[in-house]
Amino acid sequence: MNPLERFLLESALSCEIILCVFVFTRKVQRVLPLFAIYAYVILVGSTSVWLTYERFGISSYVSTYAYWGSVLLNAAVRSLAIAELCRYGLRAYRGIWALVWRVLAGLSVLLLVRVAMDAWGQPNKIAIYGMTLDRDLALASIVILAVLLLFRNYYGIALDPLQKSIAMGIGLICAVDVIGNTILRKILTGYLFSWYLTSQKALWPALRPQIRYMNDMWSTIHLFAFMFTMGIWCYALRKPAPAPSESPVLLPADIYRDLSPAINMRLATFNDRLVELLKP
Amino acid sequence: MNDVGIMILVALVFSGILLWLLIPKRKSSGAAAASSHAEAIGALPTAKHYGYFPQIRQALSAADTRYLLDNAPPQVARQALRERRAVARRFLQGLHEDFSNLARLGRIIAALSPEISRRQETERLMLSVKFQILYALVWLRLSTGNLPLAQLEHLTGLVGRLATRMDEAMTQISALSVGQLSGRINA
Repeated sequence: MNPLERFLLESALSCEIILCVFVFTRKVQRVLPLFAIYAYVILVGSTSVWLTYERFGISSYVSTYAYWGSVLLNAAVRSLAIAELCRYGLRAYRGIWALVWRVLAGLSVLLLVRVAMDAWGQPNKIAIYGMTLDRDLALASIVILAVLLLFRNYYGIALDPLQKSIAMGIGLICAVDVIGNTILRKILTGYLFSWYLTSQKALWPALRPQIRYMNDMWSTIHLFAFMFTMGIWCYALRKPAPAPSESPVLLPADIYRDLSPAINMRLATFNDRLVELLKP
Repeated sequence: MNDVGIMILVALVFSGILLWLLIPKRKSSGAAAASSHAEAIGALPTAKHYGYFPQIRQALSAADTRYLLDNAPPQVARQALRERRAVARRFLQGLHEDFSNLARLGRIIAALSPEISRRQETERLMLSVKFQILYALVWLRLSTGNLPLAQLEHLTGLVGRLATRMDEAMTQISALSVGQLSGRINA
């Protein structure tokens, strides 16, 4: 590892340890157990990768597989934490939840199919394959979070500050991952693709500095965004995690059945009048 | 635009939406959502702008316009018409607010209902989107002077009738919500 890689890795590890301490002492597992697991998985993954780098060297196959395995495990557990955010506080609104979970589940299936199709067509190289999967899963995470928040905003059901900070952190790291992975993937599958072809072995010494430069740059951006995200989460956890919100008092079902069609009918009539206004 | 550009654009758009929705607004926290919904039902003004309708109708009447054009100097008449259109735009803005409040009432009732109809919710969403588009077009035509002011009368009459019925419904719901909340507190 060069000094930059060592510095980034150790800084990220320190941030992850601080986050896990906050998660544990604030008893986040009582309110958001899957997010707590996500925080622990990040720490375990990073530690494993660090140990692998120390044992086998950063350029070894074992380290490459350990890194991408950790990245994809993080993405999978992050998806669970997002699912938990979707469910949190919304499940008590039974009518809305019945609609929202179906929409989000349908959207998730569509996005996962897209992820699978996109990854399927990639060259059989772990870095490019992993990068594509990670990028598409990150994009899917942003889309799901945005749709969830649109639903909540539409029905006037706000997220608690802690959940907001978690969503903001996940959104930030996913956005950086999507943009960074997209650019890096384009470069690696473009003019640097010779790096993966044994038939082009003669070019490898010339390509090595460029590959190293790209890796360093991307690692720096990714890890700084990651540490910033940890900062957002730690700041949100400076206070104890709030108790789970109480269930709302729901209205009798008859009120919706009676009023909703009447409201819609009137809104439709209103639109009809606007259309009439616009007729020449 | 190539696939890299599209991917980055999509990521930026959704991140922008996410950021916009996560920026703290006047809304209360989720813990207070239930009570705020119940309070919101009682506090929603359904048609406060409709109350000014008689004055607006008088100000925008065709007879007034004709009188102005016939009797006032051309420059004064033009100035007066411009000002009347500005008044009409502000009134239209007020009607938009009334419409939004009524649509919000529908959403609050849906949020607090134990079961909702997917068809009804989709329909209301589509109606709101359609309204926004139509409103923008009417606003544009009103601003460019292509819309007779007297036609607003039909619109305001409709909102007024709707508001009366919704006020009655909201009073009932508000009473019911407060009763249920008190029951929950006493229990």
